[in-house]
Amino acid sequence: MSELDFLFAFAAVLIAGVMCCGRDGRAGWAAMAVYGAMLVAVMAAAGKVAGGSIPSALGFSVLGHKIGWRMDGLGWFFSMLTAGAAFFASWYAAGEWGRAQPGMKTQHLLLALNVAAMLLLVNAGDLLSLFIGWELVSWAAFAMMAQKGGPAQPAAMRYMIYALAGAMAVLAGIMIVHAVTGSFAYKDFAAAFGAMSSGMKWLLAGLFAAGFGVKMALMPFHLWQAAAYSETPGASSAFLNAVSARMGLFALILVLVKVMGLSALAGLHVPLIGLSAKGLLMWIAAFTMVIPTFIALMQTDARMLLTWHGIGQGGYMLLGVLVGTGLGTAGGLLHVFNYATYQMALFLAVTAVIHRTGTSDLDRLGGLITRMPWTYVTLLMGIIGLAGLPPMNGFVSKWMIYRSLLDSGSAFLLIFAFVGTLGTILSVYKLIHNIFLGRLRPQHEGVREAPWSMVAPMLALGGIGFVTGWFPGLALNLTDIAQAAMGAPELPHGLGGVATARGSLNMIWVVSILLVAIGFGAIVFYFLGNRRYEVNQLNNYAGGHFLSPQVPYQFSHEFYPGLARVIGPWYRGSIVRAEQGIGTLLDVSGDLWRGIYHLAWTPLYLLAATVIALGWAIMGGM
Amino acid sequence: MTDKPLKSHVRPPQDTMPGGAGQGCPAPDAQTRSIWRRIMDDFADHCRARSLFVLHYCTGCGAIELPPTITSRFDMERVGITPMVTPRQADILLITGYLSLKTLKRVILSYEQMQGPKYVLGFGSCTINGGMYWNSYATMKRLDQYIPTDLFIAGCMPRPEAVQQVLLKLIEDIDAGRANAWQDYYRNYDFYLGNQQRLFGAGWNTPTDVIGEARHYGYYGPGTEGEHTRLLAEGGGSAARLAHAEYPSTALTGRIKS
Amino acid sequence: MRLLADIVLMPLIAFITGLFLVLMYRRVRAKIERRVGPPFFQPVYDIVKLFAKKTQISHGVMHDLSIVLLLGGYITAEIFLPVPGFKGLAEEGDLLTLIYIMMVPMLGLALGVGSCANPNGSIGISRALTAMLAYDVPLAVAIIGATMTYGTTNLVEIVRIQQEGGMATWGIATMPLLAIGGYLAVHGMFGKEPFEIYIAPAEIATGPMVEMSGKYMGALFIMQCFQLYTIGVLYVTLFLGGGENWPLFLIKVAAVVFISVAVTNVYGRYRTDKVVRWMWKWPTGIALLGLALVMAK
Ligand code: SF4
Repeated sequence: MSELDFLFAFAAVLIAGVMCCGRDGRAGWAAMAVYGAMLVAVMAAAGKVAGGSIPSALGFSVLGHKIGWRMDGLGWFFSMLTAGAAFFASWYAAGEWGRAQPGMKTQHLLLALNVAAMLLLVNAGDLLSLFIGWELVSWAAFAMMAQKGGPAQPAAMRYMIYALAGAMAVLAGIMIVHAVTGSFAYKDFAAAFGAMSSGMKWLLAGLFAAGFGVKMALMPFHLWQAAAYSETPGASSAFLNAVSARMGLFALILVLVKVMGLSALAGLHVPLIGLSAKGLLMWIAAFTMVIPTFIALMQTDARMLLTWHGIGQGGYMLLGVLVGTGLGTAGGLLHVFNYATYQMALFLAVTAVIHRTGTSDLDRLGGLITRMPWTYVTLLMGIIGLAGLPPMNGFVSKWMIYRSLLDSGSAFLLIFAFVGTLGTILSVYKLIHNIFLGRLRPQHEGVREAPWSMVAPMLALGGIGFVTGWFPGLALNLTDIAQAAMGAPELPHGLGGVATARGSLNMIWVVSILLVAIGFGAIVFYFLGNRRYEVNQLNNYAGGHFLSPQVPYQFSHEFYPGLARVIGPWYRGSIVRAEQGIGTLLDVSGDLWRGIYHLAWTPLYLLAATVIALGWAIMGGM
Repeated sequence: MTDKPLKSHVRPPQDTMPGGAGQGCPAPDAQTRSIWRRIMDDFADHCRARSLFVLHYCTGCGAIELPPTITSRFDMERVGITPMVTPRQADILLITGYLSLKTLKRVILSYEQMQGPKYVLGFGSCTINGGMYWNSYATMKRLDQYIPTDLFIAGCMPRPEAVQQVLLKLIEDIDAGRANAWQDYYRNYDFYLGNQQRLFGAGWNTPTDVIGEARHYGYYGPGTEGEHTRLLAEGGGSAARLAHAEYPSTALTGRIKS
Repeated sequence: MRLLADIVLMPLIAFITGLFLVLMYRRVRAKIERRVGPPFFQPVYDIVKLFAKKTQISHGVMHDLSIVLLLGGYITAEIFLPVPGFKGLAEEGDLLTLIYIMMVPMLGLALGVGSCANPNGSIGISRALTAMLAYDVPLAVAIIGATMTYGTTNLVEIVRIQQEGGMATWGIATMPLLAIGGYLAVHGMFGKEPFEIYIAPAEIATGPMVEMSGKYMGALFIMQCFQLYTIGVLYVTLFLGGGENWPLFLIKVAAVVFISVAVTNVYGRYRTDKVVRWMWKWPTGIALLGLALVMAK
């Protein structure tokens, strides 16, 4: 049995275990232990995947094609993220939060299923197993969103429509590949791709990019994800956001970058506008960075805001990977890792707020900093990472992406990257301000800090973010393995960051100096001047007005009115209208589908659909 | 309106007044300070005297005299005096003229929100003895009954030259370490509160915890608490706490920390 | 040892220079208004006075920490600036790092102001961040154009390239459009009229500073010194050839601030959305044109 088999076995055991005794109060802790063991197993396999790949005994053969699974560096990297995210999510859910949830058994089960599906996807050994994994992840995520009685069902339906459309495109692509090469193996595809006509190349690249892009919520397909992910219950939604949202990126990297090759894409020219297929994808990534970020800025719900940012951050990762240099690829992959840490921390923190106050509506919170200080600290670390400011890890990966864009001379793309970051800063400040700063509402007087079972994993994630920001070399060691597997150029780096001839970054210095300087600031502040006296919130300047809790004295609704006046019309004109249009379309088609989905247990259909699809693919390929 | 002090509101004897010997007050007086402390204090006073931020409380007629004082004709910035916007930032509270009961409440609120050392200048006869509003039913007569006032500017209305003169006098006082009227508010809070209560009723309250601050900064004197502050406690403490009576509060009542 | 000296001296020099810049700012302003203006030591008096306030009002731990972050962030930024005669750490971080380090104090301040629970402050921060979004777009274009021209983001290198080639290789000569666009952005960064939307004393009672008193306000005054200096140095580094020696360097920095101060008095205040529109239209347009020229080369 190889390490990969161990992983699959862990996942299977966990599913079986949760099925039989998921109702037990200790199930959560047991699940956390298994995910922890998985993480350890993945880490232990690092040495092995660095040189080659780990095969799995799992596999079957269809009409003479051997379909199997094997773990290479890229799969390893994503397996690690999956296991890690599942570990923290289950840790969070194991204690008080899980007990407070109705139907926690289902949630345990769904998380286990999602993890298993992700593992099957990221360790796929050929196109067909990739598709199987792809479908499994789609359906597992669907099941997670559409938990019985959950508020996310309409959103999940919408997700399904998109997912099915994407799957069709992918399936068509695989069929064509099979028709041309007669095989599902990556290497046959890679070998044959170079010789294909450029029309064929365009078709394949388009099909795969569209199919995978849907899952990544790339620009024209970005409308489904926010609603679907944000309504999912807390810990699960953190997992979905941190990891499942990245499966599109994984598949894109695998098929477009690794198999087809960036140089092949760069050789595909779009007539008239002078862009290559690679350039086109980069611009799509650039728009994905900016537009969802500004949509996030307009949100009034904490989870919606974060999910929209997740979509936007996906643009950074794709952009970095597409640049294709050692720095860019490492930056993109590092951003996947960093994003997983801070997005998870953010979602868990917001879930803690929901757990205590019952809402994530940014217009109905405020002043919780005195009540939930540790949650505040987590959220603060998370937003610094998300905004990409030093000293958190988000800065390092973004710096690498900026730097690689500069090196490749893509000035205009870099402007987009900057603008996306600026928008993120605005939006995350609104997030933290409206929840934690400002006036405490009277009804939140009695709110207490979340229990340690929730705070500890959040802080741990924040801590990982800080440590990998201080010593980015630690995380870069991980991306190295994935990078080698992608065939991307290597990136020489030290513990503190990257040194290039045209500008370097040494985070050990940056963060250490920042800490020293903050120490100076503390000396100036705390040792000069008289002692401070802490006053109550109502002792506040109000132009001579006497404040009382009955006087609302808080600024949170429409937090950026000036900006809203500039981008608001555009936002309402295009985004909201498009949302409504799609909503209507989905209602119509949803009525048709709903009958089928709601009749019985969905995974049954999952199986049926996969089998039918597979059969179709193979027949079509014959 | 009559605001002749009641018997119990008679002002404390002069030697506990600002600039006096400061009986029983914990703040060190000029003689017992160490050399180093004295140098530091002198330096601080030197700087205080040369950097004064003014909060104009411009409800009376006199406000019109201030623009020329600030702008190019007389240019207060020459001596380091700048207008500021909120009481938090200000050193001088400049009361330009008569104060109705309603505005007096706001003046007290603003005054308490200022940070010591803070100075109050009464501008015009209205703040001294009621001026031409002497027999009005709605205005107070003597500002220094309600908040400790450092200097008055006589006249109805005083010209910018007079304003300047009084500012220069204030600078002189600060430089010499004499302008300590603000401490009197902490030390004799009961006296000022009593006068305020007579105008505004027993329920009168501000969000600032004056007694707490007095204790925290060592300005607690025998006159800080008394029968009027007891009334405050009966009413549930400061306005903030009063209004919050329906639910228990800790964040809104502020903790003391050093 | 040398590093230790740098860490202490660079922020100190920045602070002292900043005091002079503040003095200059106030004097110039007074002269334009036909006033005499404040005395020489006025900036020092103000800061000492504020720190010497005998009561200090705090709105909670975050309020205090924000001041610490604010000072810490700017002190860090000073150490990463390339100035004549100091090695500092300009080699360890680069232009991009510096830009993002400069946002740390901003974020720190924003958090502290938020925790004061005063909506005037929150509105101020909302406007300040909106203004940042507005002026950082042209600034980003200018910075990208400059790095494209110099071929590096290493600040020391950028200065070296300009000094070796003399005046003709100064950024302002090689990419005038970017320099203009960048300057307009820098003027916005100074937060003076017509872009002082986030102070707006008559509207939102000085916005972020509304609840700041005593040493909190004093720290903001110190921040103003750092801010004027840092922005000035950044512009000098990118477009005016950096510092050959201290006197020249200071003259250049002062000139950058001076021009901004000299024009600011004739303006009123824009509305927030006008600031965004204006910044995204004129400076960004000019800078983009400059960038296109740079790219075409
Ligand atoms: S003193 Fe004279 S000018 Fe001043 S407020 Fe009173 S009536 Fe008006």
